[in-house]
Amino acid sequence: MINFEKVFKRYPGNMDALQDITLEILPAELVFVTGPSGAGKSTLLKLISSVEKPTSGTIVFENKNLSQLKTKDIPYLRRHFGMIFQDHKLLYDRNCFENVALPLAINNIDGLDINRRVRAALDKVGLLNKEKIMPISLSGGEQQRLAIARAIVSRPSILIADEPTGNLDREYADEIMNIFYSFQQVGVTVIISTHELPITPIKHKKIHLIGGKLKGQINNVQLLS
Amino acid sequence: MFNYFHNHFQAFNRALVRIFSNFTSSLMMFVVIGVTLFLPSSGLLIVENISQISNNIAYDAELSLFLEKGIKQDQIDFIQSALNKTLIIKKTHYESKLTAWDKLQSKLNLNPLSTGISENPLPDAFFISLNTFNEKEINALIDNLKTIDGVENVFFDAGWVKKLRSILYLLKIGLAFLGAILITILIVVIGNTIRLQTLTHKDEIEVSKLIGATNSFIQRPFIYTGLIYGLGGGLITISTLKLTIEVFNKAAVNLEAMLGGTFILKNLVWQQNLSVILISMIIGCSASFFAAHQSVKKFEIFK
Repeated sequence: MINFEKVFKRYPGNMDALQDITLEILPAELVFVTGPSGAGKSTLLKLISSVEKPTSGTIVFENKNLSQLKTKDIPYLRRHFGMIFQDHKLLYDRNCFENVALPLAINNIDGLDINRRVRAALDKVGLLNKEKIMPISLSGGEQQRLAIARAIVSRPSILIADEPTGNLDREYADEIMNIFYSFQQVGVTVIISTHELPITPIKHKKIHLIGGKLKGQINNVQLLS
Repeated sequence: MFNYFHNHFQAFNRALVRIFSNFTSSLMMFVVIGVTLFLPSSGLLIVENISQISNNIAYDAELSLFLEKGIKQDQIDFIQSALNKTLIIKKTHYESKLTAWDKLQSKLNLNPLSTGISENPLPDAFFISLNTFNEKEINALIDNLKTIDGVENVFFDAGWVKKLRSILYLLKIGLAFLGAILITILIVVIGNTIRLQTLTHKDEIEVSKLIGATNSFIQRPFIYTGLIYGLGGGLITISTLKLTIEVFNKAAVNLEAMLGGTFILKNLVWQQNLSVILISMIIGCSASFFAAHQSVKKFEIFK
């Protein structure tokens, strides 16, 4: 599904964020990208979602070489991904319903379908009763759940989460992780960057980065909770 | 196709919400556009009205040819035949000094005895209508006429209408320049307002880009905002113009008796109303398009 082949990413100032990364992510995989701060986890996710372009090497997603993708095609590529950020990136001047409805408006989905799908997404993350509430009045965990609802509402094939539990306490973090696992169970590819690998009862792949280099790629590890 | 229009409808709705949520500043923008467009529009309206009056004046270039006092009839006949042979002369009208004197006396109610005028002071004259406005041809004709025996003087008149039209033409050009400058100012003002709006919606733009919105999708509500600004401004311009015409015409009617004549401004016809609104909307739309396009590009997160 996603293939990295000898990918390098260098930012201005000669800082190599990623060096010689070769990896493969298969459909419906749960992938954890781990490593300390500055390891290149966020850069890796940005390369997948075409927020950044690689300095060299190729990234292939569904037979498209992302490093050669034209700027005008990038928005359409992004619609395959559901993206979740540590700081949620919610719109605080719109209520929960409107936040979740945004990707559907971008995808040209009409009014009745929007209502149905937004409510389904909010229900999935347990926020259906808060659809008219402004995000500012939600707790950190609820805001992250709202961000997940926004990410899944357009039924993406891949969920990309950049340290989604970084600002949450253990209880909320587990809650969020369980939501991700449930999506992986129904066939969505889930890629999560995190400092530490959470204790998870299901199969997953671990991509470990240190200093921009791939230090380990372990497949199908199964941990017991 | 339905989704495309639905999308535009949503963008228009978002623009309306933005305008009504900042109604005071939106109203200020309407007034700025309205007043700025009022200046050249009112100037053009007045010039247009004067032009129409001048167009209604039928005129030819005319020469007045005054003959010497002691001129004989055969000389007059010779001049008449010479004039008839000249190609650029449309028609001639001879007025003898006696006829002219009678006309003057009856017009001014003069009694020669009471005024002390002992003899007719007026000369015999030809009044000549020309079929050209070409100054070279007219000047050549004047020079020729002056050389004829018995011709005292030749005057070229009726040029004033032409001069008036030239002045009006110059005024129109001046107003067009003024209009162009004011439109440029409007584009800058609207563009700057829209640019500031994009800054206040920076988060929304960035999030929209991250979840797959195209630049045109993001720009759309801003462009509709500019379009609505243009519509509001255009309506204010028309209302102000109509009010000005009403006030001016009322004052003109009141002054009619004093001035012995009146000048009434014609009310705007629907085509003129539509033109003002369309121009205003085009200005709003294009200014917001350029501003939103530049700003949204600046928030580019693709590298």
